[in-house]
Amino acid sequence: MLIIFSLSPQTRPSMKDSLTLLSRLSAHPDSRCWFLAWNPTGTLLASCGGDKTIRIWGKEGDTWVCKSVLGEGHQRTVRKVAWSPCGNYLASASFDATTCIWMKKNNDFECITTLEGHENEVKSVAWAPSGSLLATCSRDKSVWVWEVDEEEEYECVSVLNSHTQDVKHVVWHPNQELLASASYDDTVKLYHEEEDDWVCCATLEGHTSTVWSLAFDQSGEQLASCSDDKTMRIWRRMASGEEQGKKDPTWKCICTLSGYHTRTIYDVNWSHLTGAIATACGDDAIRIFEEDAGSDVMQPTFSLTAHMPRAHSQDVNCVAWHPKEPGLLASCSDDGEMAFWQYQRPE
Amino acid sequence: MAEAQDSLWGLVEEFVSGQQDSKATEVAAGVKDGAFTVLQVVEALGSCLANPEPRTRGRGVQLLSQVLLQCYANLKEKEVEVLVVFYENRLKDHHVITPHVLQGLKALSMSVVFPPGLAVSVLKSIFQEVHVQSLMQLDRHTVYMIITNFMNNREQELKSLGADFTFGFIQVMDGEKDPRNLLVAFQIVQNIITKNYSLGPFVEELFEVTSCYFPIDFNPPPNDPHGITREDLILGLRAVLASTPRFAEFLLPLLIEKMDSDIQSAKVDALQTLTAACAVYEQKELKEFLSGLWSSIRREVFQTASDKVEAEGLAALHALSAGLSRSVLSPDSEDLLNTFLSSILQDCRHHLCEPDMKLVWPSAKLLQAAAGASSRACLKVTANVLPLLLEQYNQHVQSSHRRTILEMTLGFLKLQSKWLQEEDGNGLANFKDPLCSMVFSAVTDPSTPLQQVAVKALTVLGTQQGFLSSGDIDLIVDHLTRLILEETDSQSCQAVIDSSGSLARVHPAVFISRMVPQLCSRLQTVPMEGTDDRGSAIPQRTVWQRCLEALAAISTHHSIVQETVPILLDHVRQAQKGDTIAEDVVAVCKSLHQVAVLCQENAESLCYYHQKVVPCLLSITVLAAMQDRGNAADLHVLLNDNVLTAMASLIISSTTHLSPDLLSSSVSQIVNLFLDGDVSILKENSFPSKFLPFQIDGPAAPQSRLVALFMAFVCSLPRNVEIPHLSRLLQDLLSLSLAGCCAFAFTSAAKCFAGLINKCPAGEQLDNSLQSASHKIESGLEDESRRTQAVTLLTWVTKALILRYHPMDGHLTNKMIGLLSDRDLGPLAADMFCLLVSDSPDILNKACHADIRIMFRQRFFTENVPKLVQGFNAANEDNKPNYLKALSHVLNCLPKQVLVTELPSLISLLLEALSCPDEVVQLSTLTCLEPLLLDAAAILSVHIDTLISKLLCLTSSPSMAVRITALKCMLALTKLPLPMLLPYKQQVIRALAKPLDDKKRLVRKEAVEARCQWFLIGSPGS
Amino acid sequence: MVGSSQLENANPLIYQRSGERQVTAQDEDEQLHDRIDDREIFDLIRSINDPEHPLSLEELNVVEEIRVKVEDKESTVSVEFTPTIPHCSMATLIGLSIKVKLLRSLPERFKVDVHITPGTHASEHAVNKQLADKERVAAALENSHLLEVVNQCLSARS
Repeated sequence: MLIIFSLSPQTRPSMKDSLTLLSRLSAHPDSRCWFLAWNPTGTLLASCGGDKTIRIWGKEGDTWVCKSVLGEGHQRTVRKVAWSPCGNYLASASFDATTCIWMKKNNDFECITTLEGHENEVKSVAWAPSGSLLATCSRDKSVWVWEVDEEEEYECVSVLNSHTQDVKHVVWHPNQELLASASYDDTVKLYHEEEDDWVCCATLEGHTSTVWSLAFDQSGEQLASCSDDKTMRIWRRMASGEEQGKKDPTWKCICTLSGYHTRTIYDVNWSHLTGAIATACGDDAIRIFEEDAGSDVMQPTFSLTAHMPRAHSQDVNCVAWHPKEPGLLASCSDDGEMAFWQYQRPE
Repeated sequence: MAEAQDSLWGLVEEFVSGQQDSKATEVAAGVKDGAFTVLQVVEALGSCLANPEPRTRGRGVQLLSQVLLQCYANLKEKEVEVLVVFYENRLKDHHVITPHVLQGLKALSMSVVFPPGLAVSVLKSIFQEVHVQSLMQLDRHTVYMIITNFMNNREQELKSLGADFTFGFIQVMDGEKDPRNLLVAFQIVQNIITKNYSLGPFVEELFEVTSCYFPIDFNPPPNDPHGITREDLILGLRAVLASTPRFAEFLLPLLIEKMDSDIQSAKVDALQTLTAACAVYEQKELKEFLSGLWSSIRREVFQTASDKVEAEGLAALHALSAGLSRSVLSPDSEDLLNTFLSSILQDCRHHLCEPDMKLVWPSAKLLQAAAGASSRACLKVTANVLPLLLEQYNQHVQSSHRRTILEMTLGFLKLQSKWLQEEDGNGLANFKDPLCSMVFSAVTDPSTPLQQVAVKALTVLGTQQGFLSSGDIDLIVDHLTRLILEETDSQSCQAVIDSSGSLARVHPAVFISRMVPQLCSRLQTVPMEGTDDRGSAIPQRTVWQRCLEALAAISTHHSIVQETVPILLDHVRQAQKGDTIAEDVVAVCKSLHQVAVLCQENAESLCYYHQKVVPCLLSITVLAAMQDRGNAADLHVLLNDNVLTAMASLIISSTTHLSPDLLSSSVSQIVNLFLDGDVSILKENSFPSKFLPFQIDGPAAPQSRLVALFMAFVCSLPRNVEIPHLSRLLQDLLSLSLAGCCAFAFTSAAKCFAGLINKCPAGEQLDNSLQSASHKIESGLEDESRRTQAVTLLTWVTKALILRYHPMDGHLTNKMIGLLSDRDLGPLAADMFCLLVSDSPDILNKACHADIRIMFRQRFFTENVPKLVQGFNAANEDNKPNYLKALSHVLNCLPKQVLVTELPSLISLLLEALSCPDEVVQLSTLTCLEPLLLDAAAILSVHIDTLISKLLCLTSSPSMAVRITALKCMLALTKLPLPMLLPYKQQVIRALAKPLDDKKRLVRKEAVEARCQWFLIGSPGS
Repeated sequence: MVGSSQLENANPLIYQRSGERQVTAQDEDEQLHDRIDDREIFDLIRSINDPEHPLSLEELNVVEEIRVKVEDKESTVSVEFTPTIPHCSMATLIGLSIKVKLLRSLPERFKVDVHITPGTHASEHAVNKQLADKERVAAALENSHLLEVVNQCLSARS
C-alpha cells in the first residue's frame, strides 16, 4: 500500500482567493443542519436537520429561498436525503428508523411511502444510477438494498450484514450497480449482485477510526473516503489483471491525505465536473484538493487548493458540488446554516 | 296583627308557588322585627307542608329553614323544641326534602337555647334516617356542621350515647371524597379522640375510616376557589392518626409500609406522621415495631437521594428515642430504650471508623438524632461512642480524616452540653483528659479545616461550667489569642473571634488578664498603608483590624466592657493629632459600634458605655471642628463624612435601648451644647472659641457637620423622652438644611428635622413647623442655588410624614411627583423615591422608635402609583425615564403579595420600563419582576412574548448587573406553566447561547443556570 | 429508584466538595474580561449527580479539576473522568452526562472532548469512541429513556 504524506500542507500563495463565499443563510434555525443534496439538474437543493424537517431550496434571482418545508414525515432527526436520478423523487433517512420516499408534484412534495425494517436509526440513503435500486444503512449494522417497480412499490431484496458496527454512509457507483458503505468499524465495504444475490465483494481497510463518508470520482474508478482519524484516503479499482488470480476487481489505497485536517472529517465530495475534492471537517473548515497535473495514476499526489478555516461557526457536516455549474459548492453546519461558495482553481 | 298575618301568607305563597327566593329574607326580617313568630310561619306553611307533591313540601321546608338560618338567635327554647320535633319527623319524608331539613337542623343546632336531651335525639334520627354519603357535597357538609355544633355545645349529652355516637359518625363519613368535607370530618374525629368520647369496640373501624386516605394524594385544581391545599389535608389527617396511642398497633405497620414505598412524598408523610405519633406513644405501643421502624429509617438515611427525606428520617428517630425515654419503667421490665439504642449502635458504630466512606456521616447523624432525645439516651450513646472516636482520632493520621472524627465528636459534645449540665453524672468526666489532648493537638494542627473544628470543640468544652480546670481555660484563651494574631485564613479567624465572644461571657476574668493585654499591645502600632510586611504571613494591617474586631467581640461581659471601651476610645482620641487616616478611625468606630450592640443586652454596661463614649466623641469632634480652618481640601480627619457617619451609628445604638431616666439628663445637656454652645457635658473645657453649629456662615462652618452626631442622638430617643427647646431647635435645623453649607451638613440637618417631626405629637407646634418647612421648601425650589437642598429637605420631610400617615404627606408627595418633569431636578427627584419607600438604615426606623404605621408602603402605593402612571403617560420623552425610575423604586420596596394583585394594571408599564435606556430603571424593574414571575402566570401569559424578547435583549446590556438580573429572570420564567413556555423553548435556548460567551464569569454562571433549566423544561426526567 | 434496586457499591469512598468559587474584585469589574478557566469548567460538571449514588461526581472523585483542560482562545475543552470501578456499567452514561452538560453550558464555538482517564476502565476505547461520535450522541438525546436519565443527572438535587 502506498501512503503519501503531503510534504508541505501549507497553502500556495494564490490559494487564499480560490474559495469565495457567495451567500450564507439560516437553513434549520434553532437546530443543526446535517446534509445537503442537489437535484440532478441543480435547480433544487434539499437540506435536512435536527429539527426533523427537510427543506427544499430554489434560486430566485441571486438568493436562495425556501420553497417548501417537509415537516410531517419523520419523528426524529432527518440525517440524510437523496434525489432519484430522474429528479422526481426524494428519499430521506431518519433516526426514527424509517426512510421516506417523497414524490415531487409541481412544486410540492408528498410522502408516498415509508420504508420500515431497520431496527434503529437510519443513517444514509442512496439511489442507484438506474433509479430502480435504493440502498439504506443503519446503526443496526446492516445495509439494505431495495428494488422499485413500476407501481412505485419498494421491496427489500437484500440485507447485508457485513459490517460489525453502525453503517454511516452508502453511495452508488456513478454508472454501475456497485454499492459502497462506510462504517464505525473503520472499514469501507463494496457490494455487487452475484447470481441474484447481493454480496460483499471488497473490504477496504486502512482507516484507524470511523469512516464517515465516501465519494466516487466521475469515472467511478476512484473512491475517496474520510474518517474520524482525520485523514482522507483515495482508493483505486485494480482491474482483475492488475492483481493476479482474483475474479473480483480489487481496490487499493493509492493516496492518504493526512496532516491537513485537525478534527473528524464528516464529509467528502468529488466533483464530477472539475475533479476537485471538497471536505467538511469538525474543525469548522472546508478544504479542497486537486490532483497534481501529471502525477502518476497509480501514485497520484494531491494538493490543497483551497482552505476556508472558519467556513462555519461550528462543525461542517456536508459539502456538495453543484451537478452542472463547475465550482459551485454548498455546505452546511451544526450552527444550522448553509453556505454557497464559488471555487476557482488557483493558477 | 291580622295585616301582618296576611302579608306573611302572601310572602309564603310567593316563595313556594311563585319561586321567588328573595321572599325568605323578607319573612326572616318579619320574624326579627317581631311582626310574626316562627311558629306562625309554620302555621302559614301548613297546607303546603301537607301537599302531596314532594317538591312543594320541600319548598315549604326550605323557606322555614332559610328563615331559621337568619333568626336562630331569636328563638325561644319552646319554639326550638317544637321545631326539632317537626324536623325530625320530616327526615322520614321524601329524599328531595332532606337537604332542606338538614339546613333547618343546622340552624337549630346553633341556637343557645337548644333544649337538653334533644341533641341526642336529632343525631340518632340523622344516623338512622339519612344515608349521608348519597347526599350532595353541600348537604354532607351540613351534616358535619350539625355534628360539630353539637360537639361544641352538648358534649356531655353526646357522650351519653357512648360508642354509638362514634359508630354513627364512622358510618356518616365512610366514603367521603370531597376535600372540603374531609377537613371538617378529620376535625370531628380528632375531637372524638382528644375529648375522650367512647370509642368502644370501634377503634379499628375509626382508624380504617380515616387512615384509608393516607398518604394524602390531592392536587388542588388550578384556580381552586376553596383554597384547600394538600398540606391542609395532610395536617388534618395527621392530627387524627397521631392523636392516640390506641391507633398505634394499626398505624405503625401502615407507616412502615409507606416508608418502604418508592414515592418520596409518601415517605416524607409517613416519617412526619411517625414523628407526630411518637409524641403520645410510649414503650408499650412501640415495642413490637421497633426493629421494623429502625430498619426503614436506617435505609432512608443511608441511601436516600433527598435531603428532605434524610431530615425527616432523623427527626422521626429523634422522636422515637424521645418516646421510649418517656416511659416509667418497672424494675423488672426490659428497658426498650436501652435495647433500641444498642441496635442503633450496632448498625452505625463501625461506620464511624471509616471517616472517608460515604456512610460515616449518615451514621453519625443517626446516632446524634437518637442521643439528642433525652439525657438517658445521650448518656448511653456518648458513653459508647466517645471512646471509639477518641481511639479513631489517634489511629488516623490524615488531617481530613481527623477533621471528620473531630467534627462528629463535636456533635456529641454539643448534645452533652444540652442534656448533661451538672457536673455529676456528666458522662464526660471520664474522658476529660483524652478529649483535651485531642482538641489541643488539633488546634495546633497546620490544617486549617481541622483547626476550625478544634476551635468549635474548645468553645463547647470551655462553656461547660466547671468541666475544665482553670489551667485548661488559660490555655484555650492563649490558643485563641494566638490564632487571632497569626491565623492566615480570614474565615477561620472570624470563627475564632466568634468563639472568643461566647467564651468571654463565661470566663471574663481570663480574657481580661490574658487576651486583652495582648490585643492592646498589638494595637499600639498603627501600621501605615503599604507597611513592610516581610517576615510575616499576614499583613500587619489585617492583624491590627482583627485586634479591633476581637476587642469588640469579647465585650460580652460588663467587666470586659470596662476594659475594652477605654482602649478603643484612646484610639479614636489618637486621631485628634490629625495624622491618622479616616479609614482607621472608621474601623475603630465600627468596633465601638459592635460593643454598643453587645451592651444593649445589659443595662449596666449600656449605661456605662453611653456615659463614657458619647461625651468623649462630642469633645474631640467639637475641638477638631474649632481647630479646623474651614478649608474643604484640608478637613480634619475627625470631621470626615465617613468618620462622622460611623460615630453617628454607634451613638444611635447606644441611645435606642437606654432607660428614659438616664436619657432625659443627657438630652438637655446635648441640646444646650448644640443650641447655645454650653460645653458642660464635655470632658474638656478649654475651647479656643464658642461652639455654634447652627451658625450658617462664617468661620464656624465646619462645626455644622457635627449636626450628624446630634441627629444620631435626638432622633433615636424613645418617644416619651421630652426634648427641650424643640421649636427653636426645629427652626435652626430648617435654616441649616437650606443653607449653602456642605451636602453632609445640610442633609444631616434635613434628616434630623424629619426625624423629630416624625415623632412630634400632633398639634400646633407640629403644624407650625410643617408650615414653615413648606414655605422654606417652596422658596428654596425657586432659588437656583438652593434647589438641591430644597429637594433633599422635601424628600426627608415627606418620608417622615408618610411613615406616620400625616394628612400633609399627600401634598408633599404630589410636589415630589411634580418635580419629576422638572428639567434639572427630575432625575434627582426620581432617585429620591428610593429613599421615600426603602427602609432607612440610620434614623426613621423601628429601632429608633420612629412612628411607623404598618402598611404605610401599601398606602403610599395605592395613593401614588396611579399618579405616577398618569404622569408617565403625560410626560414628554425626556422626562418619561424619571417616572419609570420613581415607579420602579416604589414597586421594588413593596411586598410581593401586594404587587401580584396590582400587576395587571402595571405590567405594560413594567414592560415599557424594560426598554427604557436608563440602566437603573432596567435593573430595578428586573429586580422587581423576578420574584413576581412565579405568582403571576395568568397575567404574564398575555405578555409572555414581549417579556421574553425584552429579557433576552437585556442579556446583552452593557451593564453587568442588568445582564445578570435579566438572566435570573429568564431562569425564574422556567417555573411558569409548561404550555406557556414550550413554544419559546428552542428560540430561548438559541438566544441564551450568546451570554454563555459573556466576558464576565458571573454573567456566564447565570446564563448556564438559565439555559440548562430551559433545556430541562418539558423534557423527560425533569 | 431508591430502595428498589441493589447498588453496586453501597458505601463508596467519598471526597470533600470544593466550596463555591470566591468572587474576586476582578470578577466584579465590568471592564475586565474573565477568561474561561479550568475551575469554571470544573464547576459546571462537579455537581452532576451520579446515576447510581445520591452523590455528585465530585464527591465520588469521578471528576477532578486537574483532569480538566480548557483553552479559551483555541475554543477547546478536554475533560477526563474516572469511573469508580473499572467495570462500571454506567461509564458511558456518566460520560454522556458530562458531555451534554458542557454542550448546554459552553459557547458554541467550543470543541468539547470527553474521555475516560487512561487506564481506568475496561472498555475505555469503546466508551471514548462512542462519546466522540456526535451522531450517536445526537441520536441518544432523541431517545426519551436515555434523555430522562441524563436530565436526572443534570437536575438540581431535591
